[in-house]
Amino acid sequence: MHELTKYFGSLCAVDHVNLKVENEIFGLLGPNGAGKSTTVMMLTTLLKPSSGSASICGYDVVKDAKKVRGTISYVPQDMAVDIKLTGRENVMLYAKLYGVPDRNTRVDDVLELLGLTDRSGDLVRTYSGGMRRRLELAQALVHEPEVLFLDEPTLGLDVAARKKIWEHISALRKRGMTIFMTTHYMEEADEYCDRVAIIDKGRIVVVDSPTNLKLGLGEDASLNDVFLENVKTGEDQAGFDAFRFRTMLRRRS
Amino acid sequence: MKQIFYYFERDMRKWSRSRINVVASLAMPAAWLVLVGLTLPIRFTDNYLEFITPSILVMTMLFSSLQGGALMIFDKVLGFLNKFLAMPAPRESILLGKILFISTRGLLQATVILLIAGLLGVRIHSPLNIVLVYVTLFLFGVLFSAIATTLALHISDHDGYAAVNSMISMPLFFASNALMPYDKMPEWLRMLAMVNPLSHTIDSIRVLFAGGAAGGRDGGTGCRGWGYGVCGDGAVSEDWGVNRGVCCPHFGDDDMLIFGSILSCQKS
Repeated sequence: MHELTKYFGSLCAVDHVNLKVENEIFGLLGPNGAGKSTTVMMLTTLLKPSSGSASICGYDVVKDAKKVRGTISYVPQDMAVDIKLTGRENVMLYAKLYGVPDRNTRVDDVLELLGLTDRSGDLVRTYSGGMRRRLELAQALVHEPEVLFLDEPTLGLDVAARKKIWEHISALRKRGMTIFMTTHYMEEADEYCDRVAIIDKGRIVVVDSPTNLKLGLGEDASLNDVFLENVKTGEDQAGFDAFRFRTMLRRRS
Repeated sequence: MKQIFYYFERDMRKWSRSRINVVASLAMPAAWLVLVGLTLPIRFTDNYLEFITPSILVMTMLFSSLQGGALMIFDKVLGFLNKFLAMPAPRESILLGKILFISTRGLLQATVILLIAGLLGVRIHSPLNIVLVYVTLFLFGVLFSAIATTLALHISDHDGYAAVNSMISMPLFFASNALMPYDKMPEWLRMLAMVNPLSHTIDSIRVLFAGGAAGGRDGGTGCRGWGYGVCGDGAVSEDWGVNRGVCCPHFGDDDMLIFGSILSCQKS
């Protein structure tokens, strides 16, 4: 990404962002409205940057948009799976649209990979939230993308389902896939991401590995502290001193 | 091209699994046919049912096509559209698949209406004319589903779309020659009806019902209906042209083009 910028009218959602993501799990963290989703949408060719450029696997997101779309997969936060289709039909649709060769085997493979084989003949209506999310991952993986974009992959899932999703994501990373994701859950980013960037008001504030970021703050700092240190939230601006509040709480306990 | 069929297949499967939709969508046209077609005390014709059947067929297509825009709204609101747009499959096939599905669904509904009308005694005499009725209805469906899906891309929520839909559908139906012939209308209504694409489609289907498609004035009417259908295709291809390679969640500003092509067709 080079000087990537997006304006919505006069609002600057993403402000001259420079980032280089290697083969890793990269987490983009930030408060609501910081520009996380806008960044992801520009990288997945859904929004055109106002200025600057970005390329994925050497393909420019504007000029070679179609090649970019062939190399990536995008899972938005909405959980968009067809509940009136079976799990297998959902994945098969994507296999067909991506033009995957030998698609029957491939669909069986990804369903197996995400542990959905037993239920693949059932209508998605009967699936739990965690299963639907895994089904979305199966759809995204069916054409073996090089980069996987996940927007809040664990939003609204229970602890067990979240853990399972993360195990799958880590396994994909070991198979050589690059994963670019956004999240609100600091503990998860801390545990699973190789590097994180914190974005606030469209600007990247820090980029580093979670360990380094925490060390920068002191002994037992958590990624939450790093986040609060770097991000000016609405409460801060309204005169709410989060730091003082937290020290106060600490003293009481 | 294949992708159009895959998108079509998706919608078709979803639709066929919700039987309530299938039945519900038939209730209104059937009610028109029976409750209005059989009962209205009309003096200008002995067989009002025969007069109104083509109108109901076209109405079925119209409502079904405009309803179809809601599918696009849901795809957009629920996040499906973003997922599809991030795929290498040609983006216009999303739109074309939708238009194909909506038009096909309309034809299936029209078939049921045609069967009911057949039971009530309406007849088409030549098999070729039945085919032509279908072709005309399909082209009309393509025109309005192209308009509906395009509108849906520009309207952000379902309520807004439902409001626009009801604003368009009934007035368009009443301002046509669906319920009465041109010569029984007040002058101002006739003016409206003459520029209404619905009237022309209904005209050509009436001609086909009456058994003629060739020669003289009737032939001309038929051709006009056809012109509209072709203009529906034009609307689609303009959608297609504008949308190719557009790099944003919306497809492009094509409403004006569609309405432009309707108007230009009207002049000819």
